[in-house]
Formats: sequence, C-alpha cells, structure tokens
Amino acid sequence: MIRDVAASPLARLVTRYAWRHRWSYLAGGAFLWLTNWLTVSIPIEIGRAVDGLRAAEPIGRFVAAIAAMGLAVIVVRSLSRILIFNPGRDVEYELRRDLFAHLLRLQPSFYALRKRGDIVSRASNDITWVRTLVGYGGLQVVNVTLAVGLTVWKMVELSPRLTWMVVLPVLVGMAVVQWAIGRLFRLSRENQEQLGEISEHVLGSLQGIATIQGFVAERAFVERFEARNLAWFATGMKLAVIRAAALPLLVLAGGVSMYVLIAIGGRQVLEGGLSVGELAAFTALLMVFLPPLRSLGWMLSVIQRGRAALERVFELMDAPVERPEGRGGIVPTAGRGPAIELRGLDFAYPDEPDRPVLSSVTASIDAGSVVGLFGRTGAGKSTLLRVIARLYNPPPGAVLIDGVDLADLDLDAWRARLAVAPQRPFLFSDSIEANVGLDPEVSPARVAEAIRQAALEPDLSALPDGVATVVGERGIMLSGGQRQRVALARALVRRGDVLILDDVLSAVDHATEARLVETVASLAGRPGAPTIFIASHRLSALRHCDTILVLDRGRLVDRGRHRELVDRPGIYRDTWQIQSQRSARAAAAS
Amino acid sequence: MLRRLWPYLRPDRWAFVVALALTPAAAGLSLVQPWLLKRVIDEHLVPGVAEGLGGLALVFLGAVVAAYVLEGLYVLALAWGGQRSIVRLRSGIYRTLLSLKQSYLDRQPAGQLMTRATSDVDALGEAFSSGLINIILDLLTIGGTLGAMLWLDARLTLVLMLLAPPVLAVLELVRRRLRALFGEVREALAAVNAFLAERVDGVEVVQLFGNERPSELQFDGRNDRFRRATSRSNVYDSVMYAVVDGVASICVAVMLWYGAGLAAAAGLPLAPVEAVSAGLLVAFIEYLDRLFRPLRELSSRVAVLQRGAAALEKILGLLDVDEVVVDRGEPLADADGTLRLEDVRFAYRPGAEDVLRGIDLEVRPGEVVAVVGATGSGKTTLTRVVDTSYTGYRGSITVAGRELASLKGSEVRRYIAGVRQDAQLFSETVRFNVDLGRAEIAPEDCAAAAALVHADHLVERVGWERVLRERGADLSVGEGQLLTLARVMAHDPALLILDEATASIDSVTEQLIQDALARIFDRKTVIVIAHRLSTVEQADRIVVMERGRIVEQGSHPELMAAGGRYAELVRAGEDLLVA
Ligand SMILES: Nc1ncnc2c1ncn2[C@@H]1O[C@H](COP(=O)(O)OP(=O)(O)OP(=O)(O)O)[C@@H](O)[C@H]1O
Ligand SMILES: Nc1ncnc2c1ncn2[C@@H]1O[C@H](COP(=O)(O)OP(=O)(O)OP(=O)(O)O)[C@@H](O)[C@H]1O
Ligand SMILES: [Mg+2]
Repeated sequence: MIRDVAASPLARLVTRYAWRHRWSYLAGGAFLWLTNWLTVSIPIEIGRAVDGLRAAEPIGRFVAAIAAMGLAVIVVRSLSRILIFNPGRDVEYELRRDLFAHLLRLQPSFYALRKRGDIVSRASNDITWVRTLVGYGGLQVVNVTLAVGLTVWKMVELSPRLTWMVVLPVLVGMAVVQWAIGRLFRLSRENQEQLGEISEHVLGSLQGIATIQGFVAERAFVERFEARNLAWFATGMKLAVIRAAALPLLVLAGGVSMYVLIAIGGRQVLEGGLSVGELAAFTALLMVFLPPLRSLGWMLSVIQRGRAALERVFELMDAPVERPEGRGGIVPTAGRGPAIELRGLDFAYPDEPDRPVLSSVTASIDAGSVVGLFGRTGAGKSTLLRVIARLYNPPPGAVLIDGVDLADLDLDAWRARLAVAPQRPFLFSDSIEANVGLDPEVSPARVAEAIRQAALEPDLSALPDGVATVVGERGIMLSGGQRQRVALARALVRRGDVLILDDVLSAVDHATEARLVETVASLAGRPGAPTIFIASHRLSALRHCDTILVLDRGRLVDRGRHRELVDRPGIYRDTWQIQSQRSARAAAAS
Repeated sequence: MLRRLWPYLRPDRWAFVVALALTPAAAGLSLVQPWLLKRVIDEHLVPGVAEGLGGLALVFLGAVVAAYVLEGLYVLALAWGGQRSIVRLRSGIYRTLLSLKQSYLDRQPAGQLMTRATSDVDALGEAFSSGLINIILDLLTIGGTLGAMLWLDARLTLVLMLLAPPVLAVLELVRRRLRALFGEVREALAAVNAFLAERVDGVEVVQLFGNERPSELQFDGRNDRFRRATSRSNVYDSVMYAVVDGVASICVAVMLWYGAGLAAAAGLPLAPVEAVSAGLLVAFIEYLDRLFRPLRELSSRVAVLQRGAAALEKILGLLDVDEVVVDRGEPLADADGTLRLEDVRFAYRPGAEDVLRGIDLEVRPGEVVAVVGATGSGKTTLTRVVDTSYTGYRGSITVAGRELASLKGSEVRRYIAGVRQDAQLFSETVRFNVDLGRAEIAPEDCAAAAALVHADHLVERVGWERVLRERGADLSVGEGQLLTLARVMAHDPALLILDEATASIDSVTEQLIQDALARIFDRKTVIVIAHRLSTVEQADRIVVMERGRIVEQGSHPELMAAGGRYAELVRAGEDLLVA
C-alpha cells in the first residue's frame, strides 16, 4: 500500500478505514435524512392542526400524520444511529489492531525518544476519541447540517425576513464559540498531557516502591506528585471557565432567537403578516433547531478532540519502521552459525547522537565460534550486541553477515535466526512455561529441555506450581537468578544460529554457573554450531571462548584467546589477577 | 459509599451548596420560559392585544439571560468543588499506594493500580459533576415541568401521563440490558489495555523472538471482544434514544386529538380555544421538550453514573486495603547495629510454602556478614524480612534487643537500608535518584557518595541534573548499580545490606569499591550477598543458605576447613577458573 503521508489524517482515516463501510454510512445517512425530514415536517403539521383547531375544522388527518411520523421517527432514528455508530466501532477495532501491529514492529530507537505511558495512552484513550469522531462526530455533523438546513428551509418558507432575524443571534453565538473551541482544544490537550505525567509518576513510583519505602522517601515523592496534581487543577479550572462561559453562549443565542421571535414575529402576527399557527410552527421549528445547537458546542469539542487524537494516533502509525533492507536479502546460510564481520562500526544512541558509544569497532568473527565480550561497566558490550541483534540499525556496510550487509538483510529472517538473552530480563505476567515457549508452536518437550539446559529444573520444585507458576509482572515473584534463567531458557529454546548471552551469569551461584558453562560448551564446536556471543564480567564464562573482544569506552582495544590476553598488560589481565588471586587465596586457605 | 467520600468533598462543601442552591433557580428559569410564551400567544397574539407585548418579551429575554448567568455560575461552582475534591482524592490515593505492602503490590498489575489515581478518579469526578448533579437538575426539571403542566392544564397532562407507563417500561427494559453490557464493555476494555501495555513494555522481547504474529492474535481476541460488546450496547442505546424522540411527537398528536375531541364532545362550534389554546399547545410542546430531553440523555447519564460507581468501588477497594504499612510503634533510638534472628520463618503468602524455614543468625555491631548460597535459596527474602519490606515473619527478629515488629517502621528503614539486586531507578534527575529528595543530604554529600563508589566519572559524564529515562534505561546495567550504590552511601544507614550490589560491575571497579567500602565497614554493620564467592571471603562471617535454612556459618578459613557446602561452592568457582 502506498503511504500517503502528505494527506491529512482525516482524509487518510476516511480512505483507509471508513471507506469500506460506505454502504453502512450511506444507508445510515439516508435514514438520518429521513429522520430529519420527519422531525421538521411534524411542526408544520402541528401548525396546520392549530390553525385547523381555531377554524373548527376536523384535524384528525393532521393528528394521524403526526402520530405516524412519531412512530416512523423511532424506527428510522434507531436505524440511522445503529448504521452510523457501528462502523465507528469497527474503525476503532481496525485502527487499534493496526496500531498494535505497528507498535510491535517499531524499533527501540523509536521507543527511546518517547515515554511508554504516552504510547499506551494513545493506543487506548486516543483511539476511543477517534471512534467518537467517526461515529458520534460524523453523525452529528450530518445531523446538525440536515436539521439546521431543513429547519431553516422550512422557516424561510414561512417567513424569510423573520428567519434571518431569528438565525442571526445564533450565528453570532457560533462565531464566539468557534473561537472558544480553539482554546478549549489547546487546554484540553494540555490537561490530557498533565494527566499523562501524573500516570507516569504513579507508575514509576509503583515500580520503585521498594526503594521509596526502603529509604523513607515517601514525602519527596508525594511533593512531586502534588506539583503535577496542582498543575492539572490549574488547567482544569481554565477549561471550566470556558465551559461555563463560552459554550452555553449557544443556548443563550437560542433564547435570544426566541425573544426575537416573540417580539418581532409577535408584532407580525398582530399586524396580520403571520398566522398564529405559523408562529406556533416557527416556535416548534426553533425547538427542532435548538437541541442540535445546544449540542453543537459539545460536538465541536468532540470533533476537535477527535482530530487531535487522530493526529496523535497517526503520528505513531507514521513512525517509520526502519528496515532499510536494500536488497531484502535473506541470509544464504541459515541452519548454521554465520561468520560476522564488523567493519569500522560506529554507533551512538538516538537520544544522544553526539556521544559515540561504539567507535570504529573492526573484527571478523568465524562462523560457529564462541565470542567473549569483555569490558568495564559501560564499555559498550550490550550496545554491540543490540546492534548485532539489529535492535538498532547499524550504519550500512558496518556489520556483515556471511558477507552480506546486516542492514540489507530481511529483518524477520535475521531475527528468526537469533536467540537472545538480554541483560535486563523481561518476563510477561504469565506462566514460566509460556514465558519460555513464547511461540505457541514450540513443543512442551523442547520447553522442558531448554529449562533443563538453563539449569532451572532444581528451582521448579520449590515453586508452587512448577512450570505453570505464574511469575507476576516482570517476573516479580521469582528470585533474581530464577528470572535470569527463565530468560536464558527462552533463548535456548529457539536453537538459533546466533546465540547472544548478555551477562546471564551475573546472578547465579558457582554450581549453577558451571552447569551453564557446560551448556554453552555443548552447543559449540559441532558442525553447524551457532555463533555464540557471551558478554560477562566473570572470566570463568569467557575463558573457553574461541576469541574474546575487549572493549574500552566503545573501542576495541584488544582481542585474543584467554591465554593470550592474560599474558598482555591490560584490563583483562588486571581482572584476571583480581579474580584468580582471590581464588588462589581461597584455595590456599583450604 | 458516598459517606466515605465526604472527607474529600468537605473542604469545598460551600461550592456544592452554592451549586445545589442554584439548581432550583436554573430549573425554574428554564420552566418559566414556555409559560411566558403561552401568555404571549394567548393574551396578545390571539386576541390581538399589542400593549404589553414588548414588556413580556423583555421579561422573557431577562429569563434567558439570567438562566445563562446562573448556569455558568453553577458550572463554575461545581468545577471548583469537584476538581479540588479530585485533587484531594487523587492525592489520598497516591499516598495510599505508597503505603501499600509490597506483598500486596506483587499481586497487582501496576498499570491497573495506576488507573485508580487517574482514569478512575476522573470517571468519579465526571459521574459527580455531569452525572449526579445533572440528574438532580434533570429531576428538578422533570418534576417542575410536570408541575407546570398540571398547573396549566391538569386534564391534558393526565391524559399525556397515560403514555408514560409503556414508555417507561420500554426504557427500563433497555436500561437493564445496557447495564449488563456496560460491565462487559468495561472489562473488555481493561483486558485490551492491560495486554497492550505489557506488550509495549516488553516490545524488545517480542521482536527478538519473532513473536509479533502470536501477540497480534492474542490481542485480536481481546480487541474483538471489546468491539462486540460496544456494538451491542450501541444498538440498545440507539433504540432508547429514538424511542424518547418519537414519543415526544406522539404526545403532541395525543394532545391535539384530545383537544379536538374535547371540543367536539362539548358540542362547541368554535370553542376548542378554551379547551386547548394555541398558546397552551405551544407551551406544552416546549414543556414536552424539556421533559424528554433529560430522558433522552438518560442512557449517557446512566453510563456516566455507572462508570463512576464502578470507579468508586475500585477506589474504595484500594483505600480499604488493609495491607498497608502502618507507621506505628516504638521509636528506635540509640540502636547500635545488633541484629538477632531466632527461628525465623516466612512465606510470601499465607498458606504457601515457607521460603525461610527457621533462620537463626546474630549480627554484631560493626560486623560484616556475607550470605551465600544457591539461587532461589532465600537470601534476598531474608534481607527483605529484615528491612521490613515484607512483614509477617514468624519467630523473632530483634534490633538492638527490641522486636522488629514492634518498632516504628520508618525508623527501622532509616536505620537499615541497602542496594537491591535489581537497581530501581526513577525517571527523575540523577541527583534525585541519589538523594531521593531528602533535604538533609546536601549536594556535597551526593558528590562524596558518588566518589566513594567510583560513580563520579559516570555522574560527571551524564550530569547531576540529567533526567533519566524510565527505569534508567539509558544507562548500562552496571552504571545503574553504581548509582544505587551511591544512593545508599548518601543515605548512610547504620545497617547496610548489599544484595548483589556489584554483580554487574566489572572486577576492577568492584575492587576499588570494596577497598573504599572496607574503610567505612568498620563503622557499620553490613550484610552482603554475593554469588562470586571470591568477593566475600574477607567477611567476618559467612553464612551459607540452602532452601531457606542456614546450613553452615563461620569465617572463610573455618568453612574451607570444614569442607562442607561452602567449600564445595568455592571449589566449583575455582574449577571454573582453573580447570
Ligand atoms: N538506551 C540508551 N540510550 C542512551 N545511552 C545508552 C543507552 N544504553 C546504554 N547507553 C550508554 O551507552 C554506554 C554503553 O552501555 P552498554 O549498556 O553497552 O554498556 P555495557 O558494556 O554493557 O555495560 P555493563 O557492563 O554495565 O552491562 C553507557 O555509557 C550507557 O550509559
Ligand atoms: N515476591 C515474591 N513472591 C512470591 N515468591 C517469591 C517472591 N520473591 C521470591 N519468591 C520465591 O522465594 C524463593 C527465594 O527467593 P529469593 O529471591 O529470596 O532467592 P535468592 O536466594 O535471593 O536467589 P538469587 O540468588 O537468585 O537472588 C524463590 O523460590 C522465589 O521464587
Ligand atoms: Mg551491559
């Protein structure tokens, strides 16, 4: 599908989502027209009946007509509302479905610049406003236009001069309200954003509750909360002033119209230019005219809100999925670990583009080898692994997979070959089983095997429901080491061609560590073995690597096997001394 | 239920009194208008009396303007009282959230708790200002209108009332169906939002594991359920609206028919004017409009009220949670750092299996005690019980000879603090993340703490005033740990707990930190948990845990000589480096 970014969001909403419901809208529109035609015809009949009563003529005809039209209104109004509102629900459903699918594909560099709370609120609240726009808003626009158009037309038929005098105050009222709506719109957007900040503050506090309570920092957090709460209040009151003073202006204008009708129309009746029945009909028409007007203020604000919401939603939908797959290449050698070449890889995070986190990293990695990543805190290990997993796009030509530019590969095909255990494990609030076998097609036997490989088995017996234990949000009900190994098992279950293990040993004891090192060794070395990356501060995990890359502040400063690195001066050797000396001391003591 | 809200409403009760006082006036002003209209028609237009028409028209205009002013005041008064009450309620909810026990929070999705302070409070405010008070206004209007109609022509009104039972019956039927559907709509929406929020939160995992399609399918089920519920409720809603609309016209027909019939029955040739005058008819049409408008809005009002009631229930549910940290008990003066545990048992949930199964441990002032053991053996749990994060232990824990449970919680927590295994960072400035807003901690203290744990380079690079991303996602994991270490140093507790505090920090930095800490350790009681055993061997005492029990304790040489579980673990570690 051609992405037509230049078109207004509204136009795109119509073409992409609303258009396919056109028959429903059309039918609804026809019924709406009928409804309005009936509602304006009724007053005319009433006028005739009044005049008929005065003339002592039989009015049964008019009465029957009015009653029949009343009944007809019930049917056609129901149908019009159902036919016009229900597509709105479908549009909401489709829009939310598409937005969700798009969000799942947006890269971390997109998320880096936005707050998740804001994104979630766009996908939930704003889409609801869009529904209101296409359902209620659309109906009201048509409804008001029809009602106003038809009533004015009928009024003109009765008396053109009186019509414009009656309509004039309403026009003035609308002009003022139109101005107020703009302000209302800006303020309510501000108000919404302030509420968003409150949400984020609350969410952040809940996530850090252990720290807040543990450090008795409740007061400081409440103060920050209050500041946001009061800012919300200030905007809310400004909004209230507009709601109180500006929006009811339309009602006031309607009242003034009625006054005009009495004062001027009344005089006309007295002078004989208008019959009493006609005046009654005029009054009844004004009664048809006023309710839509009364809701006009609200409708306009709904439309404004809806359009703002639509903009916010499309802003997300338009965020490009950065997949510059030039040749759309699929890695030719799927089924075994690829060779990876880094060629002068530079990288900076999008929120801090001026700070290079990786600078001209150059290294070639053999197919199926085990690569250690070593470096001090913040050296860029995780970043390098994120780039290889293409969570962030590498510059063109900087990372080659079996000779093909990573930036050119089909992302899905590449991801299908990856198995990643990230440094910050993220678990869904689901069972351990479901967290490990994210893909429903993975067989329970494979899940069980991965759990065994991740040395998670002994823990399962201590958990209330074994693998079916639900782990709570982000796995809060598990111990740190258990969380880490669930994430590890999730990676192992994939049997990927590239296995990325970022600091997965930081929270396990030595016995478990030994088992995990064994697992890695069992995966490596065979023909067709995956290419494995291990980032760790524990040299025990790096010792057996085929090659170890040493990073320092984003630069590759050394590379070699464990034996070579311990012979050269550098942080690797320093670290080795620290870790092994202690061990030696420990050994000596025993 | 409303009584529970009173404390939040009370401070602004005058605003509500004003609003309530204005409602009869506003309703009255709107009711007087059709009556004036009737007088205009019947007293001036029909008989053709011009005199006084202008005056009457002006009275009408006055009523219109006065209604505008009164209504404006009414809206403002309500907004003032309502929003201020919301601010208070929201702040009350937030305070409650902060005081909830962690064992309770573990079981609640944070996203849903968050909505208590945001959308639920909003729904309640909305129900209050546009639902409840409007319903009062509506009822006044309906009552007043009926009164006015009866006063103008009782017979005609009573005839019209005959239409009421069938109409009300239909409305009630629809309303019942709607009510059930609203519940379904609410639940479906909550499910949609919760799923969406969690997947967005874990979007990297979804992508890395090619889980987009399965996630979409799971989402679709929830999304579709919501669509179906809303579509069905829309059908009922539409019918309800249309019925009210159509019935208004039928009423007019009945009125005319009745008027004509009366005239005929009375055998009057020209007299129906007395029976149903033109003015009366116009006035009645207007009154009917005022009668039906609130009825027509009824379904949306009901929806607003129901949402408000559901929100209120949830809010009160939260305010009523008894799992809160009550900050009561004896003050903790002159504690020296002694900690004694005797046969301590603990389970995260009542009835669940114990995670701590009889811990006996004594920590003396100035001592450094290391806790080691397999993952999941209960080390973190032990520290959580000691620092009162989780309450409800059995057995006895004494701090400076006094039972932990009887002490004032906030004082205990000032006295015992630590670094948690998962660095908790806030989307606030770096400085706030270190001092957590405590006024006693001066900027110099922050700087000194950062320097002590070798986080000064980090802080220099990012800057004290830089606002971190959610959970500190723009720092490396090790950097996050450095900041939390700086935090605990800045707070300077007497009993320090370091739970895997340096697990993701490189050994060189770790060594520097340990050397620095060693200098302050002799003034402090320290409990340190570590998996890399080489980092704890210099502890005064090492405690080995297994499945919720302490299986060994002693100094490093003692335990090595004993050749038990600890020696085994150490050897496993050595083998990893040497073999
Ligand atoms: N999402 C991000 N946005 C901006 N900067 C980031 C982001 N993630 C990391 N950084 C910065 O990039 C640098 C490298 O971080 P990285 O996580 O790659 O380090 P690391 O070597 O894995 O460290 P550790 O040993 O602590 O895991 C750090 O200085 C960090 O502050
Ligand atoms: N919030 C919780 N709710 C319920 N159960 C929990 C909770 N936290 C931990 N557990 C369970 O209690 C047991 C002990 O966990 P704990 O975190 O104390 O272990 P640990 O010794 O610190 O492990 P690690 O070395 O992995 O950090 C584990 O089996 C874990 O699943
Ligand atoms: Mg890292």
